[in-house]
Order: sequence, then C-alpha cells, then structure tokens
Amino acid sequence: MEISPSASTAGVTERRGIPGASFVEDVETYLKQSGLDVNSSLGFLQERLQQYRVVEMKLLAQQRDLQAKIPDIEKCLDVVAMLEAKKTAGEALITDFEVAEGIYSRSKVEDNDSVCLWLGANVMLEYSLEEAKSLLEKNLENAKASLEVLVGDLQFLRDQVTITQVTVARVYNWDVHQRRTKQAVKEPES
Amino acid sequence: MGPRRNEINTLDNTTLRSSPLFISSPVEFLLSPRRIVLKMQQGEGSETQVTWEDQQNINKFGRLNNRYHELEEEIKVAKEANENLEDASNELILSDEDVLRFQIGEVFAHVPSEEVESRLEKMKEDAAKELQRLEEEKESVLAQMAELKKILYGKFKDSINLEED
Repeated sequence: MEISPSASTAGVTERRGIPGASFVEDVETYLKQSGLDVNSSLGFLQERLQQYRVVEMKLLAQQRDLQAKIPDIEKCLDVVAMLEAKKTAGEALITDFEVAEGIYSRSKVEDNDSVCLWLGANVMLEYSLEEAKSLLEKNLENAKASLEVLVGDLQFLRDQVTITQVTVARVYNWDVHQRRTKQAVKEPES
Repeated sequence: MGPRRNEINTLDNTTLRSSPLFISSPVEFLLSPRRIVLKMQQGEGSETQVTWEDQQNINKFGRLNNRYHELEEEIKVAKEANENLEDASNELILSDEDVLRFQIGEVFAHVPSEEVESRLEKMKEDAAKELQRLEEEKESVLAQMAELKKILYGKFKDSINLEED
C-alpha cells in the first residue's frame, strides 16, 4: 500500500467534509492574524481536535464494516465458481451444510442453473450463474474501491490531527517562552 | 466540559496537567497517533521553528507508524493462515479417504482427494506469497521510518520523541 505524501501546499482546505488544518508558519503572526489570545486559540484548536476525533470514529466503523464484507463476497464467489465447475462437469454437488450450531445436513445439488443471492433488507433474488458471478464481482470491486477511498480519508484526517496537535504544542510553547523572556527582562541583575 | 486553563486533552483521552503559565518549566505535550508519542518539549530558551517540510515529515512518520502496526496485525493473521494450511495438508497425507469435505464458503463440499490436494497446494502458494508481500512491505516501512527519524532527530534533537512507550 502506498503511503501517499500529504498535500504539497500548506493546508488543503477540506476533503469530503473534513476541514483541513492550516499549517502555521509562525506562531506570532498566526496569533496576530486570528486576533485571538493564546487561551482562545488553544480552545479553538482543541475543539477542532474533538471534531476530528468524532469523524475518525465514524470512518473507523465504516472501515471495519467494509473489511468484514469483502471476505464474505469472496466466499460467495467461491461457491458460485464451484457450482459452475460442477455444472460443466455435469456432476451433482454433494455438500454438508450447517442446519444449526454443530449440526450439519447433507444435500445433493443437481442441475444448477441459478442461485439465490441475499441482497439485504430481507430480499433474496434468484440469478443465473453468470449474472450472479458478475453481480458479486461488481460488488467486490465496489467494496474494494470504497475501502481505498476510506483509507485515504483516514490518512488525510490523521494528518490534520497531527498538524493541529503540533500547532497546539507550538502555541503553548511560544506562550511559555514569551512569559519566560518577560520574566527575565523584569528580573534585575542581582 | 472543555479543557481548563492549564489542562491539555490528548488524543487518547488522557489529560495532561501542565504547570500554571507563569511558572516557567518545560511544557510537554503528548501527540499520539496510535501508539507513537511525539513530545514537544521546550528547550532551554531556544525555540526551533517548525517548517511545513518538518510538519510533512512528522505526518509521514505518523502514517508510517500506523501502517507498521496494521502490518504487524496482518502478518499475524497471514502466519496463522499459513500454519492452518500446513496442518491441513499434513492431515491430508495421513488420511485415507477418497472423498473429503472441503470448505467452500459456509458449506463443506464433497471433493475427491486429488482435487483437494491441488486446491490446497494452490492455497498454500497464495498464502505464502501474501505473507512474503506483507513482510517486504514491513521492511520498507521500517526503513522509511528510520530515515525520517534521522532527519527529525537531526533537526529537533531533544524536543521531539519518536519512540514508542
């Protein structure tokens, strides 16, 4: 899997609803431009981090779903392939399938021309073997493509989180640094 | 409940209490994309600027680290799969039957033992290739991480910590 480089410009504005974190070149100019004092800008950045966290949870859940779906589709494709092979060989297929937990029943499947596919939402449709195969293959492709896009989104999101956290650290450190220098100036030579 | 004045919330919900702002002491900030900890500590008065390039390097390091952990998990699964296939082929050699029940999807199809053998061989080949691919990717990720570590430590020295706890 390629680790794609982050945007070359300092801050992509947003990607699919995720606000981009703009990179701060210099803390002092950033604070002057935004007109916020240290605490408010820290507060704003923290809020941003919370938002990112919410989106991350959502994306992770979607990713888990997709990752579970893909092996399922592959298993279905295997079965259809098996049925096709048996059909061309002209043999019947004898299988043991699960009736209840730990209990299996034997079945003889002959003369296959069609399979029923579970489409979800309590709907099951009968398809010919070729149609079933192409439908399953299409679903598999879509699932893999969605997963890729999702992973890209997650990477983008994590980058924005990192940028924001580094910004928080720098604003904070800058502030401590300011106070230190002010104190050093105030202290008379003793 | 937002963070109070001198508290910082980190990504994994721990709260860092820093000293009140008017006492000068090093400020630690935990930056944790997954398990990596990037601490930006203030040095003795010096303040290293963070350029966009540095930020990109930090981002890339974080991403590589995440990918590394994902790969570790995937390699574990792939190794198990390989072992299972080995066990299966050993059982096959020991067994005497002509027709075996071979799992396809959720059902067990009755398959003659020669076909089972060839299927199993193919599956073992695929699994071995997959494992090798993952291991290679892991090596590449580790190498890239080492490079980035050199660069980032070179610039930030003590102000940054890229090790795992």
